[in-house]
Amino acid sequence: MAIQDPIQQGLASGWKHIDASQVTQAQTLEADVVIVGSGAGGGVAAEILSEAGLSVIIIEGGPLKSSESFNMEERRAYPNLYQQAASMKTKDKAIGIFQGRAVGGSTTVNWTTSIRTPQNALEYWAKEKSITGLSAESLKPWFEKMEQRLNISEWAYEPNRNNLALRQGCEALGWDFTVIKRNVAGCWNSGYCGMGCPVNAKQSMLLTTIPAALNRGATLVSRAKVSQIEHTNDKVYGLKAQALSESLKPTGVELLFKAKHYILSAGAIHTPTLMMRSKLPDPYHILGKRTFLHPTLLSGAMFNDPINGHAGAPQSIYSDQFVWQDGAEGELGYKLEVPPVHPILIASKTLGYGQSHAELMAKFNQLQVTIALVRDGYHPDSQGGQVRLTDSGFSLDYPLTDAFWHAARRAFASMAELQFAAGAKQVLPISEGMPYLSSWTEAKKAIAEMDLAPLKTVVASAHVMGGCPMGEDTKTAMVDSEGSSHYFDNLSVMDGSLFPTSLGANPQLSIYGITAKNASLLAQRLTAKPQ
Amino acid sequence: MKRRTFLTTALVGTGALALGVNLYSPSHVKISEALDEQHRLLFSLLIPVFLDGALPEIESQRIVAQNQTIEAIVATMGLLPDDSRAELEELLELLESRVGLLLLTGSMTPLLMRRPAELVEMLERWRASYLDMMITAYQGLRELVIASYYSSPEHWTRLNYNKPTFLN
Repeated sequence: MAIQDPIQQGLASGWKHIDASQVTQAQTLEADVVIVGSGAGGGVAAEILSEAGLSVIIIEGGPLKSSESFNMEERRAYPNLYQQAASMKTKDKAIGIFQGRAVGGSTTVNWTTSIRTPQNALEYWAKEKSITGLSAESLKPWFEKMEQRLNISEWAYEPNRNNLALRQGCEALGWDFTVIKRNVAGCWNSGYCGMGCPVNAKQSMLLTTIPAALNRGATLVSRAKVSQIEHTNDKVYGLKAQALSESLKPTGVELLFKAKHYILSAGAIHTPTLMMRSKLPDPYHILGKRTFLHPTLLSGAMFNDPINGHAGAPQSIYSDQFVWQDGAEGELGYKLEVPPVHPILIASKTLGYGQSHAELMAKFNQLQVTIALVRDGYHPDSQGGQVRLTDSGFSLDYPLTDAFWHAARRAFASMAELQFAAGAKQVLPISEGMPYLSSWTEAKKAIAEMDLAPLKTVVASAHVMGGCPMGEDTKTAMVDSEGSSHYFDNLSVMDGSLFPTSLGANPQLSIYGITAKNASLLAQRLTAKPQ
Repeated sequence: MKRRTFLTTALVGTGALALGVNLYSPSHVKISEALDEQHRLLFSLLIPVFLDGALPEIESQRIVAQNQTIEAIVATMGLLPDDSRAELEELLELLESRVGLLLLTGSMTPLLMRRPAELVEMLERWRASYLDMMITAYQGLRELVIASYYSSPEHWTRLNYNKPTFLN
């Protein structure tokens, strides 16, 4: 069945799109506002500012890809749509990180889970991080606006078998669980959100806010990597970018962008990296520090009946039973979810090789996977990671602390208990040396004694947050609570780098809501008539 | 110089065969191809170890699958960022040099002259090593080979998996 591709249709209708890989000469482009990045922050900002009548340029480092190229194969999706072809890792290689790199950013490839910023996080930020004006109540209209805009609603269908196991485990144990709200319209329930929605049902930035901005005359520049923020005392006066080839290597062509106002929405690694590379003032050495990942553990379980974790909405149930159990600053909590089960993802995030690995892969359709996302950034022994510049880019050093490993052990136990309660025949904590466990009694003992260590225990992340925190105290924040720079009148940050801790929830809706608020305030400011 | 060393290695391998030593030797990989910059011979030795039990049992299909995996590995390496590729290249070149082998495996015996069981022993030593460098060498090769293999729809038969056909 042929699927209409709204991006191709938009381009045919005359959208202003510059694919920088095709640009052969240096160019200068000007607008009222230039936005670096087209993900959850950049997309929402672009729509709101262009709606306010401002001219907008959106610069994206990745390519413009759309449903006609989303073929539900990881081998195409990872290089086309993910940072470093989905092979990005922390400096010591102990944590694999999935982050989007294409028009729409991570929203093009996320699993559609939409959760408002937890009240515990907002209260902690107000109390400890000098953030003002962000409460569940003050954000409510902005969340409502974005929920309506992106058709965010509770998944009304039966969860797939992978998510059902999570629900059944919670029901059997009396644990909290929630049906997930998803940003989809006319979802086919196929399960390939992570490879770019093939039927344009996911209400990502690629399909919603970016087209809306382009319809209002905004310009999209893809495959252009902003390399330098040009600045004087209190003003930014330009952005330099390198055009990238189709394989995302610099072509040698330089682009210059000029605007009245500049917004950084390059995500929680690239926004601070760009600011550091440009030597923006950072008197308290905040930039790049306190980068959070929701470092995530995996537990496999074998069921007798088919799980088919590749099919159906990838996430429709979560459990917050253990996220805030010991208070925000207490022991690190963890959120229980499930991931989609696809061949490369599972083959690479499991352990071993040869016969044992082949046997695991042969049970691909019987494999249920539960994940525990650890809430980092609140406990004193959970300071997150640090992004540093290197000759060719950046490195992210993220030490996995004792507090993390303590949470990891509890998380493995919770996952195993849940999986057995849901009917699993065997459970396999994804950490070197762990055998298939055949009962909760056996698992409890084995997990209590298991070795946990970087590189031995598989740790992954799909949520990068922090590194350019907001707040009113300049000793701990680079931008104020509205995302405006403490040092430059015409610079804002609108992305996940603002968060002073992790969220304890999947981040997209937090970025949408907070950006909607901040971009609306900025639009008012920029369109106000001089007194 | 590296290429010349490797050529010598290949000749030593042939000589050993002539002496009746039962060496593992992948006949489908031409040595001339091994001398290119894509480390094809090295991967042709590692693929059967990492993918033991996953590769097809029928010899002709097995050879096709191994060659497809080598192509996928070459393609994967082309997609890696410069830093990661440089690290990986360094590791592969070490594995193709006698000094490198001594450093990484404690023996100068070329990988071509080691039996699959000896290659398993080498990987297991890295995997359990107390040195992070060894573990990351193991994990880097493992992920590259296994991810490249399972990237091909042709290799999903044993998984009983196919992508949906509703867009066909």
